[in-house]
Amino acid sequence: MLRARKPARGLAALPLVLAVVATILLCLFPAVVSSPYTLHVMILIFLSVVQGESWNVLGGYTGQYSVGHAAYFGMGAYVTIMLLQFKGIAPWYGMWAAVAAAIVLGLVIGSITFRLRGPYFVLASIAVAEIIRLVTLNWKEVTNGAEGILLSGVPPLKIGETVITDWSSKVPFYYAGLALAVLTILVNYAVQHSKLGYYFQAIREDQDAAHSLGIPLARYKNIALAISAFFTAWSGAFYGLYVGFVDPSTVQTVEVSVSIVLICIIGGIGTILGPVVGSLVLVPLAEALRSNLIADGLFALGLDPTSRTGLFLKENLAHAHVLIYGILVVVVILFMPDGVLGYVKAVTRKRATRTEAA
Amino acid sequence: MSAPILEIKQVYKLFGGLAANSDVSFQMEEGMILGLIGPNGAGKTTLFNCITGYYPPTRGEVLFQGKRLNGLEPDQVCKLGMARTWQKVRPLAKMTVLDNVMVGALCRTGSLKVARDIALEQLHVVKLEHKNGFLAGGLPIGERKKLEVARVLATKPTLLLLDEVMGGLNPAESDEIIQLILDLKKRGLTQMVIEHDMKAIMRISDRIVVLNSGAKLAEGLPQEIVSNKDVITAYLGDALE
Repeated sequence: MLRARKPARGLAALPLVLAVVATILLCLFPAVVSSPYTLHVMILIFLSVVQGESWNVLGGYTGQYSVGHAAYFGMGAYVTIMLLQFKGIAPWYGMWAAVAAAIVLGLVIGSITFRLRGPYFVLASIAVAEIIRLVTLNWKEVTNGAEGILLSGVPPLKIGETVITDWSSKVPFYYAGLALAVLTILVNYAVQHSKLGYYFQAIREDQDAAHSLGIPLARYKNIALAISAFFTAWSGAFYGLYVGFVDPSTVQTVEVSVSIVLICIIGGIGTILGPVVGSLVLVPLAEALRSNLIADGLFALGLDPTSRTGLFLKENLAHAHVLIYGILVVVVILFMPDGVLGYVKAVTRKRATRTEAA
Repeated sequence: MSAPILEIKQVYKLFGGLAANSDVSFQMEEGMILGLIGPNGAGKTTLFNCITGYYPPTRGEVLFQGKRLNGLEPDQVCKLGMARTWQKVRPLAKMTVLDNVMVGALCRTGSLKVARDIALEQLHVVKLEHKNGFLAGGLPIGERKKLEVARVLATKPTLLLLDEVMGGLNPAESDEIIQLILDLKKRGLTQMVIEHDMKAIMRISDRIVVLNSGAKLAEGLPQEIVSNKDVITAYLGDALE
């Protein structure tokens, strides 16, 4: 029989220490590493962590799969950037409008589809994300359509008269991303260790049972969706400011929605650490594929770059990231249905019982 | 006599042309155990579903402590103090036994600490506290049934509806559940029990309602029911000529 972990009373000591140490190391990281590319990859990892953690609240804990989180991500990015570029509203204010818009959007979808059982929410989430993308694409007077919006700059962040940062390097974005990731994880942790978390999981496990135990299903699903939309929109706003450019094809496509889901599937659905692990796997992998590191690695191992295979790999591997993603997903679903994190846990548990038995 | 805690008035539940319940009426007084029996397909579980808000009755009304329940959702019914178990147990499989019962307890409190205390108390009542840290999905059937009971008890009901809590249990486990039901009665909890085990139902019930093909066939004291000709016919068929 499966014996579960002891019910956690607050954070257990060791993981807490590890988490604090990791955060401190991450805070010191830019002082040691100054390569803009490394910082860029770290920022993408933070962004991915925020996306994964927010999807996890709804998909992982509450069991309501959304394949349309690009809607909230795009809403966060677009509203923030539009307010900044067209109205001159500083992003730390505009962001809240973006978050509010995303939550309203989520609650509209949720209050219609959560009353139904079955695949309606998934379908509606995909459909609404597409609608939002098409509206953005065609409502040119407001959104610039397919051209997208190029940001002319992020205003310096001031407290009083002191300029804290003028966003001229990657370092401030690094810290902003880190803060966002840490905050998202903390909020997620707090939610999961409260009444909300218990109710979310009960809904995931058995809706009828949850209903009979006094849980208003639609209300709690909507709460989960609102929390999820909140942080996803935040990550969108952060992305828009960091890249300085938004257009429908980068922030609102199905690919964005799917990649958010993948972070959780690969890392491990329904755990706090899962999206972190997923991000640590996926972001470096995507970067390695994009910059052809894999082909370079094979050449370094002795593959002749001028041979036919070498030329073929050099030519095509960089464009094959979707293919490799697909293979990765199949492998994970077949061999690690609980994600990388679940697999590692299962292996260590097996080892532990084996050593106990020996 | 005090006002009835539950009144079922001419309840009909139609699925298309099929009457799963037709013209069912009875009452329950506080503190009693009412046995609900009937052959398979008689409409017992449907009636439970009508009472607890899973199906709206097609016609008729259900009054709980004088309040009309028609149109309320199951969670609202639970909040009012009426809780049910499921014939096919529904453990929250990937949560621990303690967490399962805490979900029930959270119906009355927002504090995890209070909920944990309530849950531990109820797990003690059903004698399952040694399995606190186990995943609910890994329990054998007998313990799942107990978990089901502990979980609804944690919602602090005034009326408990038990749907075949002894189904699939061995005699020793059934005895434990019977004892539990009688203990709960002593504490003043009103209960409606669906059960197929006649010996058990005769032992615990103050009154019995028999359903057959969706309609009420008989109602009375246990000894009246065992000698009721219609009931015997419904269960065993007509005597051979």
